[in-house]
Parts: sequence; C-alpha cells; structure tokens
Amino acid sequence: MRWLAEFTRRFQMLLNREKFDRDMDEEMRAHLELREQEQREAGVSREQAYTAARKNFGNALVLREASHESWGWAWLEHLLQDLRYAFRMLRKNPGFTAVAVLTLALGIGANTAIFSIINAIFLRPLPYPNAQQIYLVARTGNAFGGESISPAIFAAWRQQQEKVFEHFALIQWSGDVTLMVSGEPVSIPSMGISTDFLAMTGVHPILGRDFRPEEGVVNAPNVVMLSNRLWRSRFKTDPNVVGQSLTLNGKPYTVVGVLPAGFTGPTFSPPEAQLWFPLQVPATSNDPGNGGQLCFGTLKPGVSVAQAEAALTPALSDLRRQFPKMFMPHERARLIPLREMLNQGAGATMLLLFGAVGLVLLIACVNVANLTLARSTTRQREMAIRAVTGASRTRLVRQLLTESILLAVFGGTLGLMACYASFSFIATLVPASLPHVGPFGIDGRVLAFAFALSIVTGIIFGVAPALGTSRVELNSSLKESGAQAGARSMGGLRRTLTVSEIAISLVLLIGAALALESLARLTMVKPGFDARNALTFSVSLPSEKYDTQVKRTAFFDQTLARLSALPGVEQAAIIDTLPLEGGSDILFNIEGGTSAAPAGEPLDANIRIVSPDYFRALRIALLRGRELTAADNVSGAPVVVINQTMARMFWPGKDPIGQQIWIGKPMGPAQSEPAPRRVVGIVADIRESALGDMPGQTMFIPYTQTKWNSAASFVVRPKAASLLSFPEIRSALHDVDPGEPLTQIQTMEQVVSASLNDWRFHAILLGIFGALALVIAAVGVYGVISYSVAQRTHEIGVRMALGAQRKNVLRLVLGNGVRLALFGVVIGLVVAVALTRLMANLLFGVSATDPLTFAAVAVLLILVALLACYIPARRAMRVDPMVALRYE
Amino acid sequence: MHRDEIPPGTLHLLILKTLARRGELHGYEIARTIQQNSEDVLQVEEGSLYPALQRMLVKGWVKAYWGTTAENRRARYYRLTAAGRKQLQVEESQFERVVHAITRVIQTA
Repeated sequence: MRWLAEFTRRFQMLLNREKFDRDMDEEMRAHLELREQEQREAGVSREQAYTAARKNFGNALVLREASHESWGWAWLEHLLQDLRYAFRMLRKNPGFTAVAVLTLALGIGANTAIFSIINAIFLRPLPYPNAQQIYLVARTGNAFGGESISPAIFAAWRQQQEKVFEHFALIQWSGDVTLMVSGEPVSIPSMGISTDFLAMTGVHPILGRDFRPEEGVVNAPNVVMLSNRLWRSRFKTDPNVVGQSLTLNGKPYTVVGVLPAGFTGPTFSPPEAQLWFPLQVPATSNDPGNGGQLCFGTLKPGVSVAQAEAALTPALSDLRRQFPKMFMPHERARLIPLREMLNQGAGATMLLLFGAVGLVLLIACVNVANLTLARSTTRQREMAIRAVTGASRTRLVRQLLTESILLAVFGGTLGLMACYASFSFIATLVPASLPHVGPFGIDGRVLAFAFALSIVTGIIFGVAPALGTSRVELNSSLKESGAQAGARSMGGLRRTLTVSEIAISLVLLIGAALALESLARLTMVKPGFDARNALTFSVSLPSEKYDTQVKRTAFFDQTLARLSALPGVEQAAIIDTLPLEGGSDILFNIEGGTSAAPAGEPLDANIRIVSPDYFRALRIALLRGRELTAADNVSGAPVVVINQTMARMFWPGKDPIGQQIWIGKPMGPAQSEPAPRRVVGIVADIRESALGDMPGQTMFIPYTQTKWNSAASFVVRPKAASLLSFPEIRSALHDVDPGEPLTQIQTMEQVVSASLNDWRFHAILLGIFGALALVIAAVGVYGVISYSVAQRTHEIGVRMALGAQRKNVLRLVLGNGVRLALFGVVIGLVVAVALTRLMANLLFGVSATDPLTFAAVAVLLILVALLACYIPARRAMRVDPMVALRYE
Repeated sequence: MHRDEIPPGTLHLLILKTLARRGELHGYEIARTIQQNSEDVLQVEEGSLYPALQRMLVKGWVKAYWGTTAENRRARYYRLTAAGRKQLQVEESQFERVVHAITRVIQTA
C-alpha cells in the first residue's frame, strides 16, 4: 500500500507541476533573502551579500531539475520536451519531413498490408478451442500424394485408434446442396462431418445440439446443422429454427442446431460450408480409392505423435495385403498439426513476399537515414550549442531519436491509412485457395504490428545518424560554417547507404521482373483449346432426386438437346471437371500390354467424363480415328478417346486405335470396369491441370457409358459472342428441371484467367514492391546528389570562374551519381544471383538468373539514377560564379 | 575556516534528525541548524536541501505547509510524519553500523 500512496503523491506532483515549481521557487527565493539579510546584518555590503548567498546556494535551474527528478517524472518531462522540440524541427523542414514521411509511409504501409494477410493465414487463432491439439491424420509414401484418405482406411483406423486418440473424426465436402428459397433453387455449399467432429474441436452449437452418434451410421434419419451466416441470412435469426424441417435436394431434413459465427471447416478455404451434415460412416468398407476425405484426431493425454503413428501404421500394411496395387510397401500413418497442414501451401509464397516487403522497408529506412544524415551535417552547430549549454550526449541522442521515431510514427500512420485504402484491392489478389481465418483486414494485431514497426523503424534509421550527429567536436563545429562541419566524416557513410539502397532495389526489381515475366509467359501459353467466347456453368444434381444413372443421363441428354437447339448455340457439351480446374486420375491396364507398358502393369492417367460435342465445343482437334458420338451410349460398345501424350507414352511407335484398356482393373474387381474399352480416337493435347504444366496423359470416356455421380460443368460455344445470354441458357435448363440451380457461371476465358490467380498474387505484389523500391531509391539518389551539389556550390563556382564549361559541371555531377549507381548495381547483381534462386519454383519459362532480365533491370535502374541526378546537375550548371563565391 | 562536504547519502539523515529534534522548520532554518549543530564543520550546499526535501515529500517522510515566520515572512514549514520517524530509525542504525565498521577497520589497521 505504501507504493500506492507514494504513486498518488507522485501523480499529484505531476498534475500540479506548476504549483510545485512555484512553491519551490518561492521557498528558495526566501532562503536566499534570509541568507542575504543575515550577511547584511553581519556588516557585509549589499553586493557582496547577494553574491555570497548565491554562491553557497548552487544553480537554481539545476536544483529544480534535480527536484523534478526526485518526483520521478523527469523521463516524461524530457520526452515531452523532446517531442515538442522534434515537432518544431520537423515543421521547420517541411521538404525533408514530407519526403521522409512519404518514404516511411510506403515502407510501413506495404509491410502492414502483407502482415494483415499473414495475420489471417498464420497468426489469427483458429476458431476451435482445441485447435492446438488437433492433428490431421494422413499417410506418407502413398501413390496418390495429398492428405485425403479412403473409406477403407478410415474404417480400418477406427478400429485401431481407441487406445491413443481422444477423438477421431472424418470430414468430407458434400458438395452443393439445393435449398428452395421462395420457389427459387439456391445452391449452398455443405460439408459432412463425422458425429464427434464438433466435440473434437471443442465448439458447441449456439442453438440446439450436437450430432448424436446414432446419426452417423448408414440410413440414419436426415438431420442438418446451419452455419451462423445461413441462419442469419435465410432464417432471419429465427430462434425456433431448431426442429424445423428443410427440403434439401428434394428431401426433408430436420434442423438440430446452429453453429457459432466464424465456425468453418478445418480446411479454412472457401467455399465456406453453410450446411453441415453428419457423415454416415460405414463400419467397414471395401473402397480403397481416394475418397477426398480428411481424417482428424486429438490424442489421449500422455500419448505422443510417434506412438499414435505407430498405432495406425499396421492397418495400412493389412490393407496392402488386401489391395496390393493400391498401397505402397512403406506407407505410414502420419500426424500433422492442424495449423501446419493449413499453412504448408502458403508458406513459401508468403515468406517470399514478406522478405520482399521487408526489403522495401529496409530501403525506406536507408533512405531516411541518409536524409537524416544529410541534414545532421547542417545541424552540427545546433548540437554544439546544446552540448555547450549542458546537454549530455545521451540527452542529444535521445533528442535525435525522438525526432526519428516521431517521423516514423507519422509515416506509419499515413502508411496504415494507405494500407486501409488499398486493402480491398490487395484482398482481391489473394488466391481464394489459401486457407485463412477470418477476413483479410486490419485488426488489433495488425495495428500493434504497424505501431511496433514504426517505432523499430524509427530506431533503425535514427540510431546511426543520432550517434554520428551527437559526437560533436565543439571546437571545429562552432568555428566552421554550419554547412561544412562534419560533412566530410559522414559523406562516406552516406555514399555507402546510397549504394546499398540501389543494390537492394536492384534485387527487388529483378525478383519482380522475373515474377512478372513468368506471369506474362503463362498468359501467352496456348491452352490448346479455344476459350474465346465459350461460356460455362455448373450443375450439381442432388443424388436423392437423381438416384439412378438413367435419370441423370436423361437430365443431361435433354439439357444438352435444349441448349443445342438455342439459335445462338453452336455446340453444347458437358465434362466432369473443366480444364485447368483439377480433376481425377485413375489406374488402368492395357489389354495385352505394349512395349512401354507390359501386360498387367498398373498405369495411371487423367480421366475425364465428357459428352460427344466436348472436343468441338472447345475446338480441340481430332488427330486420328473418330470422336465420340451419341451412339457411344450404354448399349453401345465401351469406347475411349485418348490424347496425344497418352498415345505417345503408352504406344510408342504404334497405333493405339483399336487397342483395349481396362479402367480401374488394378484397383481390384470391385473398382474395375466390367469390360475393356476400345480406343477409337486421338485428340490434340491441351493444358489439362495448369497452364504451366505440360499436358499429361488423359483419356475421355462418354458420360453415357459410366457411373458418375452428379456434378458437371457445361461448356457452351455460341455462334458469335453476342448471340447468347445467360438468361437464355438458364431458361433452357429450367425447362428440363426448374429445381436445379446454375453455379459458377463464367466465361472460359475467366476460367483460364482464374487458373493464374496464384501467380498473379505474388507477381503483382512483387511488381508493386519493385516499383516502390525504384521510387524510393530514386528519391534517395536525388537527395544525396542534390545535397552534395548544394554543398559544393562554392567549389563549382570556383571551377566556373576558372573557366570550367557547363558541360564539365554536368559531367562532374552526373559522374558522381553514376558511380554510386554502378557500384550499387554491381553489388545488387551479385546478391540477386544468389537470392533469385530461392524463387526458382515460382518462375515459369524464365531462368532465375536470366541474363536479359538482369541486364534490362540494371539498365533501367542506372537510367533512373541518371534522371535523379540530372535535376540537381542542371541546378549545378546554372550556378552563377559570382553568387557562388559570395555564398557563405 | 575549513568546512567539510557532508558524506553522500547522509543528507536525508541530517534533515530527518534535525526535524525530529526541532519539530517544524522551514528550509533556511534546516540548513542553518545543521550548520550550527555541526559547529560549522558540515557544509551543506544550501540549494541541495530542496531537491532532498522534495524527495522526502514524495516518500511521505515529511509534510509541508505554508506558514509565516516570526518576522511575518511567508515560508514553507516541514514536519516529520510517522513514516519519517521510522525512516529516521532505519537511517540512524544504518549509519551507526557503517561508522562502527569503518572505525573498527581504522583502529585495527
């Protein structure tokens, strides 16, 4: 309690500072008068008494300082003093202040923007109370890659996990679900979760209850939980929604609960599921094929990750005995912390961007340090005067640092505002596939980051100039004219800073140029199909209503017929997965084998399910044989069309037409097709998985000859761009079934463009950072050269008086700048060669050390440096010798 | 006459003791009392009294109030508080320990 009373007294002193000062002044004055009076009474003259009293007393100012210190607020007073002084200094030099604040704003703003992306991806806590304990349970060494597992694996694991796992859960995207909203079908993304998933996450429904174990078995009653958003938007936060019945995909479901806001599936990438179903997990499964299911678990107390992995691995060996072709010999169970699983995709790119934006800030710091140094040479006299009047070196350094930090805080504030203003643009660049928590935006953590960054920045760029400036050589400083003092000692440091600034911007610019060049080359890649004017949309047939293959085929047959009959349509077709949007692959055998693929060897190829007009709709050329026709249906002979790569890979030097393949056969009798397919045609290659990937071996089978579930993308080729509109297409579709919503309505060109989103994200950001770096470096060179011109006005005047021509002066100044630029460029090139290698896998069609890019960027930077020197050089040329000689 | 600087750290003790003995004093009186009681040997740089008094105010060892002197002059009087009396004991015994130790070192040397 004593410290509290003491603090209260201190605080009162702070608040009534002036009264306390007045009291003490009066008290000390009284003291002096009494002493004087005493001396006078002892017979001393008035003047002597006055001086004697004061001599014994000490310096009143120092005493006042000392007593302030005993109140314990000296630091605050000094800070306020320093701040006031700093404000004054900044206001007195508006040019310097503006350039410094703008430079810092660019640096801090760019960093804050990137940090807010990093925040949402890496830092924001996951909306699961138990997020720290959750592991993705996957396997390593499998033939398919990826983290998803098959129903057979989950069934086997579930029997072995009980000793080590507290919770063991499964999730699966269950696709879009059709909900009728006031007569209109609306497509809503949904997710299936095993019934203990919520308990594992620690999340509780805000209304209703969690799923029950008996709802997670096959043929359990239909129940559903609503996301908070859906509850708000479609049910107007109806508190009685629990227990209501919804018609989803044409079947009744009972709402059992509403989830809290912010709850999303454990993949944290859109589309955000709005409806949550209990996964009906069969107790046993014979399906070893990758089912797109993700398994998660939390460990029992005291169980290690290694123990858990060891407990699950034997199940994989058992499955290998059962399905020898589907499992590799050394497959192991593997636990990956949830956070790690989410971040592994974004790590490299974000690290690159964070590094790049850090360099931008570094250049900004160097730049402002340089400006501060330039200015500090003119402040030598001011420092000397302050030192002479009793300011200690610490006090001077503190004063100078206060100025720097104040500048940085202004810069940070402006940067934050710029970041806020540009945020909607940056957010559109972030690829939707990056898992993240909550929106990309400015929250408390981002604010704290920006603030801390400003302070640190202020210290970084302020400390060297402050130490330099405060080392005052009193004698020379006071004697020499203001502009000259100390200039020599710091000129070297300033040139070094300028050189490093140029070097760093060169590295950034080369990185940006390489990334932009990659993007440009990707954009120029011919996808192999004609995207122009083609339209696309998706339909996802609910399995309840379209429960047989006959019904599904009928729907697609009729819809394709209606679409083709539209006057503006040239062709209409369907495919299970559009080019550049992923897709599945499958194992097969070649009947009889070939020289490249012995009989019985499991082979792998992409598989696409299409309607006959698909190739023509996308203008994919037929190279040999024939296309698919309407006759290739369920009653016709099984056929397949392959692409050129597949023909070349498996039938080298032979004609594949007429050959037979068994799709799914290596996966065991249950997964094998009942009969082999005959190859009837070869089509040209297209970029199937990504514009940057070479075409893979791909086969196309008619949709009428296979079991496929529900989702299809339509591709519509209009006769001319203007002849077809989406409302027409929609009404054609609704003529067939008014209950089916269209989703992902876009042009094929948009599909192509969207496939480059990841590339565009880092390329554009790197481009922006490169541009910022260039601008900041140009300002830096300009600042240093114009400062040195100002300093050398006298010298230039002498030269001109002695007969130097203007062009000599121009050459002198430009030469100075070019030397710095060349130096920086050479160093930057060396560093860039070492660093760009790190981004090799973010490049396409251009080498990480592409000489042309390196040269072009170097030339660009030198030209910009020249331009930045030219302005002060012109000023130097115009120096009037008479004026210059009189100067100073 | 030769005057000695007071040893560092003892100024508080001197002020506390003076106030304990004499009750209420203003700054000038404190300075003069210390000087007289030390038979003019101890020299307090008079001004340094005031920062010391401020510090003691913060610590709560003394209280101050404005009053008038016998000559009808405004002056700030200081008075010990209970905490100040306790502090005086602490500082006195501390001082005695130090002096005792130093004396022993000097005598045995």
